[in-house]
Parts: sequence; C-alpha cells; structure tokens
Amino acid sequence: MHGVKRVQYSQAALEAKKQRDHDKLKAYLALSDDVIARKKSHDMSNEAFELTTRLLRMNPEFYTVWNYRRDMFIESLFPQRSPSEVNELLSDDLSLTFELLKQHPKVYGIWNHRRWCLEHIPDGPSPDDVNGYRNSTWNKELFVVEKMLDADARNFHAWNYRRYILATMPFPPPPKSELAYTTRKIEANFSNFSAWHQRSKVLTTLWETGELDRVKSIEEEFELVRNAMYTDPDDQSVWIYHAWLIGNGNYAARLQFEITSIQELLDEQPDSKWCMESLVRYKRLLIEKHAENLGDKKALVDSCLELLAKLRDIDPPRRRRYDEIAEGIRSGNEMQ
Amino acid sequence: MTSSSQLLIPLHVRYIQSLGEDDLTYHLTAHLRMNAVYWGLTALCIMDHKDALSKDETIEYVMSCWVDEAGAFGPHPDHDPHLLPTLSAIQILVIHDALDRIDVPRVTKFILSLQQPSGVFAGDQFGEIDTRFLYSAVNALSLLDQLHQLDVEKTVSYIKQCKNFDGGFGAVIGAESHAAQVWVCTAALAILDRLDVIDQDTLAWWLAERQLPNGGLNGRPQKLEDVCYSFWVLSSLSVLRKVSWIDADKLTSFILSAQDTENGGIADRPGDLPDVFHTIFGVAGLSLLGYPGLVDIDPVYCMPANLIESKGLRKGWEALPRKAS
Repeated sequence: MHGVKRVQYSQAALEAKKQRDHDKLKAYLALSDDVIARKKSHDMSNEAFELTTRLLRMNPEFYTVWNYRRDMFIESLFPQRSPSEVNELLSDDLSLTFELLKQHPKVYGIWNHRRWCLEHIPDGPSPDDVNGYRNSTWNKELFVVEKMLDADARNFHAWNYRRYILATMPFPPPPKSELAYTTRKIEANFSNFSAWHQRSKVLTTLWETGELDRVKSIEEEFELVRNAMYTDPDDQSVWIYHAWLIGNGNYAARLQFEITSIQELLDEQPDSKWCMESLVRYKRLLIEKHAENLGDKKALVDSCLELLAKLRDIDPPRRRRYDEIAEGIRSGNEMQ
Repeated sequence: MTSSSQLLIPLHVRYIQSLGEDDLTYHLTAHLRMNAVYWGLTALCIMDHKDALSKDETIEYVMSCWVDEAGAFGPHPDHDPHLLPTLSAIQILVIHDALDRIDVPRVTKFILSLQQPSGVFAGDQFGEIDTRFLYSAVNALSLLDQLHQLDVEKTVSYIKQCKNFDGGFGAVIGAESHAAQVWVCTAALAILDRLDVIDQDTLAWWLAERQLPNGGLNGRPQKLEDVCYSFWVLSSLSVLRKVSWIDADKLTSFILSAQDTENGGIADRPGDLPDVFHTIFGVAGLSLLGYPGLVDIDPVYCMPANLIESKGLRKGWEALPRKAS
C-alpha cells in the first residue's frame, strides 16, 4: 500500500472504525464467497455477472473475478447475441472501467480488461462496414487516455496504454502528431520525464523512417532543450535528454557549442549541479574523441577535475561517482 | 510515533507473525497473498528469525494454492493461476527445502507456455505482458534447474529492445524507465549472464540520481522517495557493483525512520501505514547496506544469499560489508 498515512485515533474513534471495517469486511466476504462459489460451479448466469460487477467495484484488483467476467462474456453473454448487442455490452464495460480508473488509476487489472474489451469488438454495424464499431471505439480511446494523462502526466499505465492504442488502432494519427503531443506536455511542464521519454521514442521512429531529417531535427531539439534548461536548470529530465542528444559526442562543433552555452548558464547559476555534471561529461567526450584537434588538452582536464571537486561539495551523496570519474580522467591522462 | 535509529527486529518479527488477523486490507489483498507470504518469510530470514512462522503450515498453504488443471499456483485458494504467485510459491518452497512437493515438469511447461514470440512473457493466458513476468519466468526456471529449456537469445533480445535513452528499462518495449522494471531486467540479465546488454555507466548514473536530499530513493525522476526503491535501486546498483554511488548512511537513516515503532513493520515513507511489502524491501535494502545483525540477501533473487550460493546460482554482485555493530 502506498501513501496511506498513519492516523492516531482516539479510543472511541478507533472502536467506531473497527465496527465500520468489520461490517464492510462481512459484506465483502459474503459477496466474495458467493462469486467464487458460483465460479467454481461454472455459473454463467446474468445474476452471476451482476455480482461480479458489484464485487469488482469493491475490489478492482481481484483479477480472478475479471477473468470470470470475461469467461462469462465468451461462454454465455456473447453467444446468441447480435453484433450490436455485443458491442453494447463491451461499451458498458468500457464505461465501467473508465469509472473505476478515475478512482484507481494504477490498477493493472482494470487497464487489462479495457484492452480485452477493445480486442473483442465485433464486426459491424453492417457487412459493408465491418470496422465501424472498431473504428469508432478505438478512436475514442485516445481521448480517454488524454483525460487520464491530464489527471496524472506521469502515470506510466496511461502512457503504456497510449502507446498500445497508437500501435493498434485501425487509423492512427501520424507520428508527427504524437511529436506535437509531447511538445504540448513538455511545454506544460518541463519536469515531465515521461513526455521527454515519449519524445525520444517518437523522434527515433521519425528518423528511422526518414520522415524527419535527423541532423536538422536534433538541432531543433537542442533549441527546445536550451529553453527548458534556462527555465528550470534544476530539472534532471532536461539534462538527461540533452545527454542523449549529444550521444557519443562524435560531432566536435556541437560539443563545443553546448559546452559554451552551459558554461554561460553556470556563470548565472554557480551552484548548478546539472551544469557542472554536463560540462564534465561533454569535456570528457572532447578529450576522448577529439584529442588531436584540441588546443590545450591540459586546460580541459584541469577544468574537469575542478568541476568534479565542486560537485563533491554540492552533491555529497554521489561523491564516490565523482571520485571515480576523476580517477578515470587522471589515469587516462597519464597513459598519454 | 517516534523515529528510531535502530532496526527493531523483534517488533517486526511480531508484526509479520500477526499478519492475517481479520482485517479488511488483508482480505482485499488476497490476490497477492502468495507474494505476501514470500515477502514475510524472506524478511524473517534476513532478520535471522526464519522459524517465526510455521514451516509446515506455510508449505500446506502453498500447496493449497496449486491449480492442477494449469500446473501452476494461484495467489490464494480458488484464485486463478498466474506466473507471479507461481514464482513466489517456488521461492517459498526453496527456502523451506521442499521443492520436492512441486511437479517440476508441469510447472516448467506452464512457465514456458507463457513466452511470447517477441521473447517477453505473459502473466497468464489473458496475455498481459511485462518484463516483471520475464524476470519471474527466468528466476523460476533457474530455481527449478530448468533454465536450459529457455530460449535465451529470444528472451535477451526483448530486454535489449526495452532499453531507453537514459540507460534504464521499462515494462514493455517503448515504456519509460522505472526502477522496479530496471531491477527485473538487470536481475534477469544477471541470471542469463548477459549484463553486456546494459550501458552500465549510464544506468548506474540514472540509478544514483534516484537518491533524494532526505536520503530516500525514488523510482523515476521527480517522484517521491519510497522505501521499496531501497531494494529495486540498490540491488540493481549491487549487480552493477556501484552501491558506493549513493550515500549509504543517509539511506539507512531514511529506511529506519519509516519503521512503525509502535506496531512494527516498515512503511513506504515516515508517517505512513506499514505493510509487509515495504517491510521486506526495507530490510533487504538495509542488508545490502551492511546493516549489523542481518543475514546477507542475494540481490538478483531477493532470497537469502547463502541459499542461492548453495544451489550454485550466485552471480557477480557486490553489497556493502556487514558492519560489526
């Protein structure tokens, strides 16, 4: 259980709570025992179905009951029914799961059941339009997941579900539209690591398909990141994303440019751990990858060691890492 | 509630023994009861009180969750079989040296049947996929000495595709890095001797950045500290041999401050209600940090280290040396 505060109850309040819990427990166990007994006896009736609805509202994490509900759909509720009726039943369950997700946004079983419903939408409404039901329902899903992400932009269940919808829906919006979605989320909050992560995936796809020119795109990304860095230099998301953009540091001019830019920011924010961390990272890349073109290599090495000494002071929990990096630089330098 | 500078072992042992008294939360979590028994038992082992719960009753409980049609275990009698409780059942039986109670070929068949063409595993026949299930399968097959039946290349190739721009791993291909998913992927790769898949410097850096000013660890950037990450993050760092990249003293203090000093157990953070999940992971984290008086835990299996070693399953990992007092 997460985030449940301990509360100090008075004796009277404790007694009252115990009584309430005892009554709830009695009701829950009675319902749970009934549903499980019916499941064991293979009861596929409407009555049993309604009881699973009640039980799942009380405890949506009870995955065995979601399983039972799905078995009832397949074995008894769907057979003998028209596509329109089946579609209706699934719509009802999509509504039920949406309602439950609003109270329980991180319960795997609810998200799983939603996917199952989507995957069982029947052909229809007519022989000329066998995908009508599917298209209509799947199109609504992006709207549903957007609502969930508006409520909690870091809910990984919702993000995973979003990626599933985009990968599976009959007529997905183009990847560029998803890029725009990540831009919106990032501009709403630069600390949204989930949005930066999604952006890294979408861009990779766009580069691979050739829809976006990688070199030009990365230049634009550096602009976006610079904006974010200056707005909130303490936000690690931006710096981790920036490190990804730099990559293996094969492009010396870009390294130099970013180092200059970050140094300017550090001049304004002299205690910025992330500026220092990044400067060390990129200066090391210069030393490792572009040694032959470096004017004053010693100055770079000294600068790294100085930054690492400062990092030890301002970020003590991670001092061992800074020490190891410094040791690496010194011994790498000595080997030359 | 007062904070404490010591791990209150006798209190936590009693807390674990008292679990199961009739309360609402207990019954609402029947779907993870097998996991909870494993968490409680492992915590007792690490606190060197393995016998605080009856071995026979525990084994009988485990066997009462066997679902014969499936060749697997559910989390509780009459609950459907699933990979997660199947792993926990195997782990409990291994700890109690009662693996002979299991029909190994049938359980192996169940586990292998859940592997998908992409290499990931589903949790059950309803098809939810997650790297947690991949880890569960690899761990379980390893404990059953059936790893040779696994398509390792296919399994490893799925994990590779889960690698993200920050060096971490997510639940499925495309998913954001999350410390728990990082642990399951790292531990699975350790069991399969494929740590070469990991960008170790980058991942160790991302993991080290989980430590917050209050000493606790979070699971992703900008999230709250939580005691369970004391295990997910720390054991990943342990496999990467970079436990020194976080501040051990600050983390130890944080975990100790999350104890419920009246009723026992450890919570996700100070001031919250304890539960057996955070109790095991707090204790396991302390063990990896060298806290005195605790038994060594294997960070790859989350089981007593000497037991894993005796089965010839120990992989390369480093914890902090055990303090004398």
